[in-house]
Amino acid sequence: MKYYYFGFLAVVFLFTSCKEDIDEVYEPSPNLDSRLMAGGETTVFLTTSNAYRSPAANLSGSKLAYHLDGDFQFETVFVTAPAPVNNGVGPIFNNSSCIGCHPKDGRSAFPTDINALSGFFLKTSMPGYGNNNAPIPVPGFGEQIQNQAIFGFEAEAKFHVTFSPIVETFADGTSITLQKPTYSLKESYIPFPSEAQLSPRLASPVFGLGLLEAIPEYYILSNEDVNDADGDGISGKANYVYDNASQSIKLGRFGWKANTASVMEQCAGAYTHDMGVTNPVFPFETGYGQTNGEDGLDDDAEISQALLDEVTFYCQTLGVPAPRNLNDESVKRGSDLFEQIQCAKCHVPKMISGEFSVEEVANQTFYLLHDMGEGLADNRSDFLADGREWRTKALWGIGLTQVVNGHTNFLHDGRAKNITEAILWHGGEAENSKNRFKALSASERADLLKFINSL
Amino acid sequence: MKKSLLFFTFIAIMHFVFMGCSDNDAPVDNPINNDGLYSRVLKDLSLDVITATYNQLYTNSISLEEAANVMTVGDEAALENAKNKWQSTRAPWEEFEGFLYGPVDTQGIDPAMDSWPVDLNAINNILNSDNPITQALLESNNEARGFHTLEYFFWGLNGEKTASQLTPREIEYIKAAASDLRSKTEQLYFGWLPSQGNFAANFINAGENGSVYTSKINALSEIAEGISIIADEVANGKIEEPLNGNNGGPKPQAEESRFSNNSKADFANNIRSIEHIYLGKYNGVQGSGLSNIVSGVNPSLDGEIKTAIADAVNAIEAIPGTFTEAIENNRSEVEFAQSKVLALLGKLQSQLEPLISNLN
Repeated sequence: MKYYYFGFLAVVFLFTSCKEDIDEVYEPSPNLDSRLMAGGETTVFLTTSNAYRSPAANLSGSKLAYHLDGDFQFETVFVTAPAPVNNGVGPIFNNSSCIGCHPKDGRSAFPTDINALSGFFLKTSMPGYGNNNAPIPVPGFGEQIQNQAIFGFEAEAKFHVTFSPIVETFADGTSITLQKPTYSLKESYIPFPSEAQLSPRLASPVFGLGLLEAIPEYYILSNEDVNDADGDGISGKANYVYDNASQSIKLGRFGWKANTASVMEQCAGAYTHDMGVTNPVFPFETGYGQTNGEDGLDDDAEISQALLDEVTFYCQTLGVPAPRNLNDESVKRGSDLFEQIQCAKCHVPKMISGEFSVEEVANQTFYLLHDMGEGLADNRSDFLADGREWRTKALWGIGLTQVVNGHTNFLHDGRAKNITEAILWHGGEAENSKNRFKALSASERADLLKFINSL
Repeated sequence: MKKSLLFFTFIAIMHFVFMGCSDNDAPVDNPINNDGLYSRVLKDLSLDVITATYNQLYTNSISLEEAANVMTVGDEAALENAKNKWQSTRAPWEEFEGFLYGPVDTQGIDPAMDSWPVDLNAINNILNSDNPITQALLESNNEARGFHTLEYFFWGLNGEKTASQLTPREIEYIKAAASDLRSKTEQLYFGWLPSQGNFAANFINAGENGSVYTSKINALSEIAEGISIIADEVANGKIEEPLNGNNGGPKPQAEESRFSNNSKADFANNIRSIEHIYLGKYNGVQGSGLSNIVSGVNPSLDGEIKTAIADAVNAIEAIPGTFTEAIENNRSEVEFAQSKVLALLGKLQSQLEPLISNLN
């Protein structure tokens, strides 16, 4: 479904110094006014709690109607089968609706009760690489731990977390205490193998995904520098993953470790693994073969390809909120600092999309993987991503998280309680930038934060 | 699907590109007077409409809980009373759907109270088990708690339940669910109340440090968007799905309050939610509402919106019989009501929202 691509204008800009090049020159950040259309023609001008859940501004007519149908489906709640409406949650699951994990199409807070219905779960696998370098499922558990079950069935396990403090001190002497989570399972329905790996995930916002899907592969790859040939300490690496929707190997673009190639795959996977709702891409229940995995009903696939197409289109065509306060002097100083301390080496300011291109997408990131250091390591590989590598996330809309979702929990499991903490968690290839952040004066840090919050 | 009006919004929104989206536009005459007006509207709406509606919801849910606690098998009067208390608790719930922002959303209270459809398999499995039915049990079963679960127990699938058909186990479930509902309304009310969670402060102090709204106009936009959203949901969801959800034909299982035949009242109360915000009036207390702003900028639009609100309520209440019957037998009256809600939606999205966002 590529209707929304029609009518987009092409822009051909790429700021990078990550590749050895002669043709492209690294330029300082553009006049911020040009960043207003953060999502090109999809940009919406909202600063309320609805900022992430609006149709792309350039949708109209039947495509807008189709998007709105998908919106309705995104909010439906699934119940235990058999049922006449919204049939098929579970038998094991994490939550019962898309909107349950992606409130207002945004991101969940880290749950106060880690075993309540929430946008948090743990992924799992056995060490090593399977077919196509895929994670190796844990016998009896698969690649994800479902901590809820319909009545009469056992959930795979309950989650458990403990925290240990890490103190970070700024050059001006102030300090912040980060909390490092350590996850484990309890009350698993069968013994959980001691060598199995666990990796936390917290749901991300859903807007802008079509733009990310449409960035040409060669643009992404032009920023790879796997062996750090340019010696800047940053070595972006692409992830290649198996895409069930197209049954082929493709560049990974979605997920915290870029383990998913398409929006359709992401949606289909979420239906089956997060909600237990089978679909044509994943027609078997997530617990297939497990004692708690089969409801014994002959109703698979529980949703149709048509419904999956509609929800996929919805997720591809949500508008990107425009940045705010671009003329504020503190924001402008902050954008200079963002370049100077090299945040922009990974969080590249501008990208274009496909042969159906999108105009200027500000602070667009690569799907490239980067080693983020020991502090953030999950020690679990996911296709070509190793146990320390994560995908750079887009920063667009980040300053609206509080008004949309009522919290500011960031990173793959919400361990950062605000942007400052998120920066302090950066390590590995980003260690240098993190240290430069710590060395800034208090007013410089305030400027940088003001810039990031303007996005 | 009748969505054609909606794209006007997005065209309207594009106007912002040319008019700018910051507050730093050309200076305005009497900015201080406008500022005072905006402050009054934000304060009156957040306290005397929004928080007051939550207070009414909480108060009525206590009565519902009390009514549930005296129910016994065979006591028809107690069941009748409980049904009445359910309806009187439902009314402020529907009347608050014009402001679905804040704790109701960020604390996940909406799905804990109003999940639809109900999970009949889950409810029956719980009934048939030996587990004590506690609030903790209900906490992990959003589709087996809340308004519609209670509605199912009080009225039954076909709306003809009698107290003699109740079982002690069902009454145990009813008591737990009513108590759970009351505790959620308390969480909601306290979330807004100044002496507690004080979410209202975000509106009263919009533009100041600590508010999630960067300006008074930003906060007013949230309020204007909220009433558009419920108009959209009524027209294009709550009415549309049961009316046409079966390939253009009636889909009665999609009707939200069908056990109690309360749907028309629900829809009308949703429109009243819009009215309370627009006029700044709730429960006999008249304060400043969006109308006070609109009438100063575009008096004819102000009149049109008031008329559109009244027309929508009247058209919904004019649908003959129950909504369940009407989607089969009185489709033209349902379509007429839907068209009135759509007309209201059009005014809110394509005229009210841009007017508010472009205020100085």
